[in-house]
Amino acid sequence: MKGLGKDYGAFTALGALDLAIPAGTCFGYLGPNGAGKSTTIKILTNLIRPSRGQAQLFGVDVQRSPTQALRKVGTVIETPEFYGYLSPLELLEYAGRLRGMSRTDIAARSEAVLKTVKLTGWADKRVETFSKGMKQRLAVAQALLHEPDLLILDEPTSGLDPRGMAEVRDIVKSLKREGRTIFMSSHLLGEVQEVCDAAALIDHGKLLLQGTLDELARRADTTAFQATFLAPPNPDELAWIGGLPGVKSVNPSGNGVVEFRLAGGPEAQVAVISAIVRSGLQLTAFRPVGTALEQLYLEQIQETEQ
Amino acid sequence: MIGKEDLRQAFVVASYEIRKYLRSRRLMGMSVLLALIIGLILGLPPALGSPYPSSPNDFVGTFAGFTGLLAVLCGVLFAADALCSEHEKRTGYFLFPNPVRRETIVLGKLLASLAASWMILLLYYAAATVAALVITRSVTWEIGLSAAYALAYVACVIGVAFLLSSVLKGTISSTVLTFFLFTLIFGIVGALLQVGKVAPWFIPTQAAGIISNVLSPPSVFPGFSQFVPDAATSLAVFAGYFVIGSIVATVSFHRRELKT
Repeated sequence: MKGLGKDYGAFTALGALDLAIPAGTCFGYLGPNGAGKSTTIKILTNLIRPSRGQAQLFGVDVQRSPTQALRKVGTVIETPEFYGYLSPLELLEYAGRLRGMSRTDIAARSEAVLKTVKLTGWADKRVETFSKGMKQRLAVAQALLHEPDLLILDEPTSGLDPRGMAEVRDIVKSLKREGRTIFMSSHLLGEVQEVCDAAALIDHGKLLLQGTLDELARRADTTAFQATFLAPPNPDELAWIGGLPGVKSVNPSGNGVVEFRLAGGPEAQVAVISAIVRSGLQLTAFRPVGTALEQLYLEQIQETEQ
Repeated sequence: MIGKEDLRQAFVVASYEIRKYLRSRRLMGMSVLLALIIGLILGLPPALGSPYPSSPNDFVGTFAGFTGLLAVLCGVLFAADALCSEHEKRTGYFLFPNPVRRETIVLGKLLASLAASWMILLLYYAAATVAALVITRSVTWEIGLSAAYALAYVACVIGVAFLLSSVLKGTISSTVLTFFLFTLIFGIVGALLQVGKVAPWFIPTQAAGIISNVLSPPSVFPGFSQFVPDAATSLAVFAGYFVIGSIVATVSFHRRELKT
């Protein structure tokens, strides 16, 4: 993606995005709702036209040669609707025939992908009776049908129950192991951390940062912690904790629980815990809240909102 | 340019469109309507004690009087929601990311609409011809000509329906507008033009008059007669609406973004 942007009238949904996805990586595309994730994915899959810049898949311009660019791509975009009068087998046959697959290949692959997404028992039933979660599974199945080299997934676990979410993540992980390139948008940080190697964060149509997950985690300035005291600290004691070196904020959340943000690494944590224990405050538990990526995400989103 | 691969994909799209007509019972609905019209035309005269027209042209002329309505219903059922439904019902999220050009999708849907509509009208004329042969003991070449004009007219309706379907947002607005355009609006415009002493040769519903006129001359009421262009002009009008409608629909569908 080079200088890729999209305007809707005076509203800029996507600024000028420069992003390259290395082959063979599982790349998470993070951002809050309305950040521009779906806009990017819709441009990549030729559903909308960019206002500026260029999107290429395998070096082929999506706008100029969409059929060539999308040949080796499988997509799941939002929760797609399917033709209700067709069954999953017929829908997969439709997609396969459009892609020029032989009937033998279509039959074999359909059986395999429906088994993968656990829809074998529904293969002959009309899609009009399917729940949102089942349609999402079918969307994943049709994306995998032609064994694509690149998978573009727009919030692939959206609409699924926890078990379905875990199953889709397992599918993505297995595809990653097979060496396929995956570009996956999500606002679920845990999901991205679980399955992706690298990620980019966007908000308000602007790329905020990108890198491997380790690189991103190292960039987090603060870490959130939760300390539990036997008795709730009084305002003076809270002010004293807030003044300790490295402590950025202190928020009591009731029942003796205090949440605070701390800058610095493990050494800073040791210093703060030691100081609290030495002060006579009766600390019963001390644990990190969330992950470094989550902290980074929140910091960056907060900055753009300011 | 349409290549070999585009044509192959267009036929795939067409085959699934026809499956839609079958599964959604649109083809069955039209077939039932067809049977009803044929049954009434053949059943009512004996029931009322009236004789059938004695000449084959007059006999089939009764059938031809309903061809315009059948053509419009074909356009409504097989074409009016063909393009906008992909956006409105979000099925485009399944179809468009496949390596298939939007132009190919339009072509496939157009082929399916034409095939289904022509099949309905050919069945109708086949029934009329067989009935004419049985009842009047003869058929004429004008019956075939009327059928050909009917096929051309339904292509014109489909072209306009595709145009509306490509520019309007909803299937309901596209369907309703297609229906009323051909059953009401074109008729009103044609009549007003005639009142203003302008020959409405370019109005397709006026041109559709040749479907009946080729079989039997129109009855002339004192003070008013419906203007019907000659056969060549009528065919050119049908072709014009079909070609322009299809081209505008293709361009519009190609440019339209899937935002919903």
